[in-house]
Amino acid sequence: MRSFSLLVVNEWLKMAKKRSFFIPYAIAAVAAIALGWILQRWGGEMMSEASALDYTVLMAGMSGFGQMTAMLAIIFTAGIVSGEHGQGTIKFLLIRGQSRSAVLASKYTAAVLFTLSLAVWLTVLSFAAGAFFFGMDAGEAGWRDVLVAGGSSLVYSMIFMTLAFMMGVLTRSTGAAMGVGMASVMFSGIVIPKSFYKYVLFPNADLSVYSQGGHAPIQGMSLGFSIAVLAAYLVLFLVASFVTFKKRDIA
Amino acid sequence: MNHRTNMQSDADAPVLSLQGVSKRIGSKWIVSQLSFDVHKGEVVGLLGPNGAGKTTTIRMIAGLIGMTEGDVLVRGSSIRSDWKRAIRHIGAIIENPEFYPYMTGCDNLKQYQRMNPWISRERIDEVVRLVGLEQAMKKKVKAYSLGMRQRLGIAQALLHEPSVLILDEPTNGLDPAGIREMRDYLKNIAREEGISILVSSHLLLEMEQLCSRVVVIQDGKLVTVRSINGGSGESEQPGQQEAMRVMFRVGRLEEAKRLLEGLDLAEVLAVNPEQSELILSLQYKDIPGVVERLGSGRIPIYLITELKQSLEDEFLKWTGGNQIA
Repeated sequence: MRSFSLLVVNEWLKMAKKRSFFIPYAIAAVAAIALGWILQRWGGEMMSEASALDYTVLMAGMSGFGQMTAMLAIIFTAGIVSGEHGQGTIKFLLIRGQSRSAVLASKYTAAVLFTLSLAVWLTVLSFAAGAFFFGMDAGEAGWRDVLVAGGSSLVYSMIFMTLAFMMGVLTRSTGAAMGVGMASVMFSGIVIPKSFYKYVLFPNADLSVYSQGGHAPIQGMSLGFSIAVLAAYLVLFLVASFVTFKKRDIA
Repeated sequence: MNHRTNMQSDADAPVLSLQGVSKRIGSKWIVSQLSFDVHKGEVVGLLGPNGAGKTTTIRMIAGLIGMTEGDVLVRGSSIRSDWKRAIRHIGAIIENPEFYPYMTGCDNLKQYQRMNPWISRERIDEVVRLVGLEQAMKKKVKAYSLGMRQRLGIAQALLHEPSVLILDEPTNGLDPAGIREMRDYLKNIAREEGISILVSSHLLLEMEQLCSRVVVIQDGKLVTVRSINGGSGESEQPGQQEAMRVMFRVGRLEEAKRLLEGLDLAEVLAVNPEQSELILSLQYKDIPGVVERLGSGRIPIYLITELKQSLEDEFLKWTGGNQIA
């Protein structure tokens, strides 16, 4: 276990030592603060009753910056496997006596941690900016709403990050991983009202549609159904990644 | 029987043993039935023209590429069935050593330390000193020259105190000074750390200077295994019966040739009018006779040199020279 956590530390350092590492956090911070300021200044009627929690729900949820978190996570983790191939560092990485499964698992863990840190960072900053601009008075939203909004954004980001991760393993190309990941985020908004489509990943990715008495995107879908579909896709992506990575000849 | 093998394994069992290693891609055998051993402290060259299967072989030894048939034993552990234990004894540089350019040399080495946690901080310092990179450890790797990266590559390969070092084309892209430096490091390491080295290359001269034995492969098959005898000491006492090739640079070439053709000590192999040279095939003991004969004809002799069959000539002979593999 200790040796695995050291592998995760390695992967984290590979991301964190890049000079561009702070950029996604900065983007999230700027977005959270700037939007808060804009809404306070020009929000008018709409925001006059708002509280810090309302703002947090707005920002962290899928209607706010949930998609952005997913995109940032994809952009900054797309190269985590393919980058090693591209740089040629994969040769050293795989001859150090750590199994390929452990190496890939450490990479996925680091990508998950990164996505998680982004989501938490965005939520915390939104709350701070909300408290500053709108005050701590009780508004409409409660902590539970924050949890639902942030949680569904996180699930959404994880799913598409995992998809990009798999593409990186399969194609060994950062561009392909990023492209497919981003395109999927774009397409996820489109809902084709046919019954087969409910088994596709996209309409299921946003779990927040089920909150606040919302209705299912396609008939026959429910929260449980979507979670099951998402879990199946997640397992599929990971199995495909690990099987490919373990078997691959490093040429 | 069993007892005897055990006894042997302690004394001089090979550190690295390839046993019928084969790799098939599609219907083509990239490497087929390759077997050879590397013993303790030995520097062995894996030589072959481009496309002979050197890189594939090296990568199979490191477990980067799967084998279709055969096995590689590293100090008795199979790379196929006991990879973790086998790879523990291998240090490798495969093609150019690649590092994370945005990290310092030190951070890069620490990456590998975390993957093998038994490596101590002192070991890192020791290895860095061995390759002479103390001054560069705090610099980012992107600021390194290729030569420095090669040295960091060696440091990386030695960190976990392996028994055998495998190097794939380690001097690719280095300038002559860098090649020489690399060679010196490798010889040093083989001597001081008692590590066996398997190095692949298509550069013959380099192999001649570095290795004690070469394994020549072509089209994925073993062509020959040759010992390289230590340097110039060899020419002092050549085999008495063996004919050697000697170049005489003389004045009045035609006359010299006529004189020697009447002599049955030596056979004129070639005449080179541009340089005014005669290439003779003769025995070592007959050289004074030839000189005497030329002297009696008052032919001026400027230069007498033995033309050694270089590894290059032999290599071309083994691999059928002119065909491009």
